[in-house]
Amino acid sequence: MQRREFLKLMGIVSGGAVLSSCGEDPHKKLISHVVPREGEVPGMAALYPSTCTECGAGCGIWVRVRERNPFKLEGMPGHPINDGALCIRGQASLSRLLHPDRITAPRRRTNTGDYQDVSWEQAMADVEQALSESGGRQVYLAGRTTGSLAALIDEFCRTRSFDRAPEVERFNHEAIRFAGDALFGRKSVPQYHLAEADVLVSLGADLLETFVSPVNFARQFAAALEKEQRWYHLEPHFSLTGNRASRRLVIRPDSEPYLLAWLLRAVPARRDLPAAVAAAVPAVTAEAAARQTGLPVTVIEELRDALRASSNPLLLAGGVALAGNNGRLTAVLAALLQWSLDMVGRTVDYERHENYETVGGAADFAGLVDALSDKQIGVLLISRLYHLDHVPSLRDALCGARFRVGLTDFMYPPYDGCDVILPLSHSLESWDDVEPRHGVISLIKPVFRPLHDTLSEGDILLQMMNNGLNYRTYLARRWGTIGRELLDQGWVIRDTEETTPTLQAGAPPPVITIQEPPADKTLVVVPSLRTFDGRSRVLTLLHEIPDPIATITYGNWVTLSVADADTLGITDGQELDIRTSGAGLRLPVKTHPQLAAGRVMVHTDQLDGLALPRDASSGEPLGILPIDSWQATGTRIDVPILSGSFTGAVGRGILPHDKPHHGPAHGGDDHATEHPPATLYPPKEYSRYRWALAIDLDRCIGCSACVAACYIENNVAIVGPDEHRIGREMAWLRIEPHLSRDGRMFFIPVMCQHCENAPCEAVCPVYATYHGSEGLNQQVYNRCVGTRYCANNCPYKVRRFNWFDHEWPSPLNLMLNPDVSVRPKGVMEKCTFCIQRIRQGKDHAKDQGRQVKDGEFTTACAQSCPTGAITFGNLLDRSSRIYALAQSPRAYRLLEGIGTEPAVYYLSKKRENA
Amino acid sequence: MSSLKGTFDQLERDVLAAMAKPKKSFWLALAVSSLMFAVGMGCWGWQIYKGLGVAGITNPVGWGVYITDFVFWVGIAHSGTLISAVLFLFRAKFRNSFNRTAEAMTIFAVMTAGLFPLIHLGRCWLFYWLFPYPNQRLLWVNFRSPLVWDVFAVSTYFTVSLIFWYVGMVPDLAIVRRYTTGVKQWIFRIFSLGWRGTRYQWEHYGKLYMFLAALATPLVISVHSVVSWDFAMSVVPGWHTTIFAPYFVAGAIFSGTAMVITLVVPMRRIFNLETYITVSHFESLAKILLFTSMIVTYSYIVEYVLAFYSGHEFEIAHFLYRSFGDYKYLYWLMLLCNSLLPLTIFVKKLRRNLTYLFILSLFVNVGMWLERFVIIVSSLAKDYDPYAWGTYTPTLIEAGITLGSFGMFFTFFLLFTKYLPVLSITEIKEISE
Amino acid sequence: MKRYLPLILVAYFIGCLLLILVLARQWQDTGQAPEQPIAFSHPIHAGNLGLECTYCHQTVARSPQATVPPVSLCMECHKNAAIDRPEVQKLRGFWERQEPIHWQRVYQLPWHAVFNHKRHIKAGVDCSFCHGELKAQARVRQVRSLMMGWCVSCHRSRNAPTDCWTCHK
Repeated sequence: MQRREFLKLMGIVSGGAVLSSCGEDPHKKLISHVVPREGEVPGMAALYPSTCTECGAGCGIWVRVRERNPFKLEGMPGHPINDGALCIRGQASLSRLLHPDRITAPRRRTNTGDYQDVSWEQAMADVEQALSESGGRQVYLAGRTTGSLAALIDEFCRTRSFDRAPEVERFNHEAIRFAGDALFGRKSVPQYHLAEADVLVSLGADLLETFVSPVNFARQFAAALEKEQRWYHLEPHFSLTGNRASRRLVIRPDSEPYLLAWLLRAVPARRDLPAAVAAAVPAVTAEAAARQTGLPVTVIEELRDALRASSNPLLLAGGVALAGNNGRLTAVLAALLQWSLDMVGRTVDYERHENYETVGGAADFAGLVDALSDKQIGVLLISRLYHLDHVPSLRDALCGARFRVGLTDFMYPPYDGCDVILPLSHSLESWDDVEPRHGVISLIKPVFRPLHDTLSEGDILLQMMNNGLNYRTYLARRWGTIGRELLDQGWVIRDTEETTPTLQAGAPPPVITIQEPPADKTLVVVPSLRTFDGRSRVLTLLHEIPDPIATITYGNWVTLSVADADTLGITDGQELDIRTSGAGLRLPVKTHPQLAAGRVMVHTDQLDGLALPRDASSGEPLGILPIDSWQATGTRIDVPILSGSFTGAVGRGILPHDKPHHGPAHGGDDHATEHPPATLYPPKEYSRYRWALAIDLDRCIGCSACVAACYIENNVAIVGPDEHRIGREMAWLRIEPHLSRDGRMFFIPVMCQHCENAPCEAVCPVYATYHGSEGLNQQVYNRCVGTRYCANNCPYKVRRFNWFDHEWPSPLNLMLNPDVSVRPKGVMEKCTFCIQRIRQGKDHAKDQGRQVKDGEFTTACAQSCPTGAITFGNLLDRSSRIYALAQSPRAYRLLEGIGTEPAVYYLSKKRENA
Repeated sequence: MSSLKGTFDQLERDVLAAMAKPKKSFWLALAVSSLMFAVGMGCWGWQIYKGLGVAGITNPVGWGVYITDFVFWVGIAHSGTLISAVLFLFRAKFRNSFNRTAEAMTIFAVMTAGLFPLIHLGRCWLFYWLFPYPNQRLLWVNFRSPLVWDVFAVSTYFTVSLIFWYVGMVPDLAIVRRYTTGVKQWIFRIFSLGWRGTRYQWEHYGKLYMFLAALATPLVISVHSVVSWDFAMSVVPGWHTTIFAPYFVAGAIFSGTAMVITLVVPMRRIFNLETYITVSHFESLAKILLFTSMIVTYSYIVEYVLAFYSGHEFEIAHFLYRSFGDYKYLYWLMLLCNSLLPLTIFVKKLRRNLTYLFILSLFVNVGMWLERFVIIVSSLAKDYDPYAWGTYTPTLIEAGITLGSFGMFFTFFLLFTKYLPVLSITEIKEISE
Repeated sequence: MKRYLPLILVAYFIGCLLLILVLARQWQDTGQAPEQPIAFSHPIHAGNLGLECTYCHQTVARSPQATVPPVSLCMECHKNAAIDRPEVQKLRGFWERQEPIHWQRVYQLPWHAVFNHKRHIKAGVDCSFCHGELKAQARVRQVRSLMMGWCVSCHRSRNAPTDCWTCHK
């Protein structure tokens, strides 16, 4: 063929068609207001004050709302309980409001045992009918209630002839209250002023995890750090609290009375104990105490000396220390020590005590159990119960009531078999208040009208009282003069009429013999950081975030020491069969290097129905159980354990003071470092802002509140256990527990380090990631084509890829932060230093014609941290906190040897004897 | 080139006999490979629909079977160009009997390889963003990224190889044209570009062929160097080493030569081309195989020595992991196939035994695939931060797509054997004069 | 066959060209003026009556989002003004039912882009620069492509930030 013909033919190939986008309607709606809301600016978040109700601590929160949808909870700065911080469960509680499994309408039980949705009129009519026909007693059984609702329930019970049963609470601190009652006539849990103590001795109480008011204690711990408080924590197992104390002492389970008895005699009393009481205290020698507790004599003498030399000590016992057979005795001895060393009225505050008066101990339900079994109860109304496994007699007797009305948001086990279910609104949908501590009242204000056909408990009760009020009006009347302050501020501190108690003369401790602690292996039942007593198990986010001690996400497990695992010939994930007190438990194992041999830890909500034996005197379930036998079953369970190893980081430049660094890690560059990193590139110049983060590892307790905050702020997807097993968790921020060479456990939060010489930026083919002008490593989601080279090249492996499209089943999609994209499949994502907050902060500052001030806004993780371990700010601002922290001799950066020049500084003090 | 059976006509008829009406076995083979190809495409479609999560890649192993396949196929391609272009420039006459097949293998391997960067993309429908074209967004690609260099390298390689192969084939197409009729002849007429065999045309042909060979030769080194820099330009321990470029190039020629042997041994028997492709040819190929195997072995040794000599804890930890960690069986199998078994070529009897060479080449193919897999996966599985360690298990989708890639390659190759002259008739004639 | 080949080629070329033009026009999407629930007339309000843009669109200078005015604002005048017109009667119907109006959005940015209206107004960008002369649009239609390059080129010429994260979220 001729050349010409050939060329003509080539023309055929050149015609191309442009494919238009598939015919989606390009026009979305723009909906106008009818009448605009005052003060609301569209596109800007409104802040509503409220209180978190995920546990009973009563932390004050600000709810961030956009277009009437709450999308983030933040701690309320200045609040007397939490002062701006919010724990992992508090952050996740937003998902409780929008949980797809919430009960959406009243339900009536049919003859077949199924539930059928009915209207409120019908449900209430059924209840009224049951009440009129009941012919028996009527009982109101609720979980711990404080504030106006407690008063309303009292009024309701009076008006409608209900008996008010003691309140049900798994962690009822019965022993502490028993001791308080026996010695001081105050059956309450005192408030502990940790921050004021120069020497703190805590036995067993997981102050920073679930004990009474963990966020408050964490805040106090942070404050106490400035004062160089000596904190001794004694525990038989391993907890985040113990890890964070200045000295963690591993004590034999249930042996605390020996130590306390010895201390009572060894430390000179500052307030006299009555002779009878002093004589009743068991005489224990130092050697005996040392032998029984397993602590060296030098150590217990150090404790004695510290207490002796202290000016304002605090000693408290709680949690696991009171969970053995010697529980009540330990509490009593601790209270005696508190009296003896003049802590009562100073660091042990009975005036502004925690509100636990109405909570019942196991023994307090005996009457109700009998009445139920004898069919004396006509109508039983239960409200806000989560499980009754700790009072099995009550749990099993519930069906004895002729008619049961259940008030709840989820179908927790106690509600199985209820005749009518009345769904409760979430605290974010209701008006209410709480008084977690005597004299501290915290406001609960609704963000919008209830999402589903639910009512608040106050409204339900008022309806049944037929007085035409709604709960809002009731509250206003009850608040009276404090109402204005409460609505403006979100909380109020009221005067209290309570006084400091005195030791009741002639009140000998009723139990004087120390029972023998378990000899050999023990099962230690501990509260769960993530689920409290199990009530927060319904929140999937709390399963998605790994437990910081075991690094396990979904599933149940027991924690075992490394030595025991070797003896048993068992490894992580293999099942262990434990026999205790005639019952058994079969769970996969996770080893922990800091757990002492002979202790097996299991969470309260992972007991899988194991019936716990009872304390002989109090009837409370025991938490220290001798293990009769244990053996590996040979089964392997695929537990999603976060990959990695506790000890693998040694020598890698991740742990503090682990490798020689090239000179101190200085940020800000106003003077040359000793060994500046060698580079061919000119130094980067920053003009107005250079964002950086500092993380104080001496403050980080590993509670993972920051992780939860990040998940919610940034629309991070929850992927589920199957994806976790292959490592596809989407967490932008992870807590890495590392064991250092000198035996310290560090919890290192790792997120995108925003490296100046980021390895990820050079390799992205499409410029989806690049270095911004303010020091941020910026990921542009829409540009990403998903080659994943950036993730491969990141030495910190903080980049997460969207392997699938993620769903937020309705109504969880209302929780999505509108300022942050929802990433489609195939796109890489990572920590952005909350760029949406930076953008808004700069926008706000620009409106006022100035630079951003230090502390004006911060990242979600820094904001939520209970100990204030994370600091965010502008390194170019010499007066900022971040600048000071970056210059600190404690500062270092992860994997500095690679030369990435991260913008995240980690701080940790070098131990002298390390 | 000695004993030539009869005349040039005989040569032509022998070669064209291969293009005669195919036997049943051909259709069966084609059906199988097409089915494999279809399975691969189906798996890819499913992956696009559901997301990359259907594959086994995860954090931290973000690259797995797909990139292994990519490097594998690109590597195979290089040997073809070596035989066609480099040996041409060195005037190694023995190349002439199988350079057409080798070059065809290159083309099809590059086509197959070129699909994998698309397959492994999270949003592969936006693949065109990897090309620097003027756009309304006023955005360019990141020229610092080795993946963009890949785009240039592979597309250049494909273009040059295609042109080289086609240009070299023009006189042969003219020969085929003479023997065909009807539609077939019309097609061959178009593609032979009116070749008349005049002196003028031969002169230009010769010059162009040499220029193209000279153009293709540096590509043999550069393209696989660029592909190796996908790894070497990172900070990952086990990847971040300067030996990667020559190591990969040698490895490419090694695996490519093995694939040539795999393809040509059966092809020779099936099409009765024993006269033209002799045992001595295979012996030469085997020597190349041995030589490149030894370079690859040397590279393995250097990697280890440098890691331990450097004292860099991450490199040392990595190489210990590679040999004794989760993927140790693959590693040792790789060593067996790549370093130990080829040493048997020192034995003359073995290297002149075609069956043995065929089996050995299969082992080498497996070994070289494993080498890429081990390098990619073991480096990513365990690097700096212990909480970023993880393993990788390929899924059926990845297996399906790998199978599909072989299906695609063999489909094209089978079609090639049927519709195009498998030997370079012209060049064989050249050397027989 | 050979004779007609050039003709076929030419026809094919022209066909391709037409196809591209048609599809490109559809793809660009400028110029579409969707039908609104109430046929609000900018020429009357902004033109004849001479109302400033910010008289109705009150949040544009203090909010990152531009919004349409609430029904209550329209009713400030239309309690009494032009109540005989059918479109105004539609408006009053919405007010009586206390129902928000679902306008068809004309200027729409994709999910991945964030646009801060307030910043642009404060930077002195005139409304008509992006929205055209509303006085001349009986029905509001999109007069600019809103494509990234258009935004970037203006940012470059006015020294506004061109950091990707200024606009990508």
